[in-house]
Amino acid sequence: MLLALTQWLSHDVRAFNVFGYITLRAVLAMLTALMISFIVGPAMIRKLTAYKIGQSVRDDGPQTHLIKAGTPTMGGALMLVATAISTLLWVDLKNAYVWVALITTLGFGAIGWVDDWRKVVHRNPKGLSAKTKYFWQSLIGAGVAAFLAMNATLPAQTELIVPFFKMLIIPLGGVGFAVLTYFVIVGSSNAVNLTDGLDGLAIMPTVMVAGALAIFAYVAGNFVFSRYLGVPYIPGAGELAVFCAALAGAGLGFLWFNAYPAEVFMGDVGALALGAAIGVVAVIVRQEIVLFVMGGVFVVETLSVVLQVASFKLTGKRIFRMAPLHHHYELKGWKENQVVVRFWIISMMLVLVGLSTLKLR
Amino acid sequence: MREANKGLVQGEANAREARVKRAARPTPEPTLRFWIISMMLVLVGLSTLKLR
Repeated sequence: MLLALTQWLSHDVRAFNVFGYITLRAVLAMLTALMISFIVGPAMIRKLTAYKIGQSVRDDGPQTHLIKAGTPTMGGALMLVATAISTLLWVDLKNAYVWVALITTLGFGAIGWVDDWRKVVHRNPKGLSAKTKYFWQSLIGAGVAAFLAMNATLPAQTELIVPFFKMLIIPLGGVGFAVLTYFVIVGSSNAVNLTDGLDGLAIMPTVMVAGALAIFAYVAGNFVFSRYLGVPYIPGAGELAVFCAALAGAGLGFLWFNAYPAEVFMGDVGALALGAAIGVVAVIVRQEIVLFVMGGVFVVETLSVVLQVASFKLTGKRIFRMAPLHHHYELKGWKENQVVVRFWIISMMLVLVGLSTLKLR
Repeated sequence: MREANKGLVQGEANAREARVKRAARPTPEPTLRFWIISMMLVLVGLSTLKLR
């Protein structure tokens, strides 16, 4: 919105041309989302507390978590509002990729909202059934995958890029690309949701991954940089840097309130949406494998659940003291803060490994 | 009389437990918030690379 305004104003005052730069708009989008979170956050937490929208805590989880019962949840809605407003303000609204990312994020957020609402307001501990949740996730994931596959005009838009190998590019074709897109979006959405179990654990890695994806999007959307770094050129993908920056800003703003001891939890409305957001951006900028590396914490948390369930069903024995993995370390005696910050450090290293693929090819 | 005492003891235990629960949830720590502020300042610093 503001881009159109500044373009119009630049006819009279040339200084407004500076808003045409994606980098400047990305910084402004991040700051805008952060400010919205800071301003709206306290009021939202007060409202959630007043309406008694509090988290129920699993009684089979770590005993130390029982004191968290009643902490306001559904705070992820704050991030979605901040991201959406900031994105709409600073992005080029004619860009289709931004709309795809925004609709995917809000769509998955809506699924999480219904799930949280049923759990918290209707006091239905199960929320949406796993089947129903998966059905709606699949519907949105498949819809986005089909849209992107049908609108791909360049071979680069449907090729699988293998990091560290410049010459290794796998053409997926329309169907292969759509299938991969579906799994990346739905998978990353659920992976972030599984990771969201300790104060600040899911949000900081998401912020870091979103920041790195902003760089990938900027490079992919720039003909000169993409050629120089050997990254596929995706026309229009640069605007996603603004979206990613808004997401990172909203996430940092949310972390202010979610930092240990959390004043608010993000709930499924936040976790499902954030996961889908980084998934869809990774797909558009053709960096699915890099996302797998940078989001290693999410991947390992998900694998820990899969392995625990499989092991228990097949052998009757558990591999971990408790799944997801963060609970395992808590039961080993690590303090909640130690688990969270150590997982952040691992995530930071993985993001740096991911970013190094820009140059090491 | 014994029942009444039992109730009193139970009540005291509940109150003690409630106090423990309140005490167990610590007040917000400034550390992480200072990290966030620091991170924002670093980003502002980095933005000077472009904004000149």
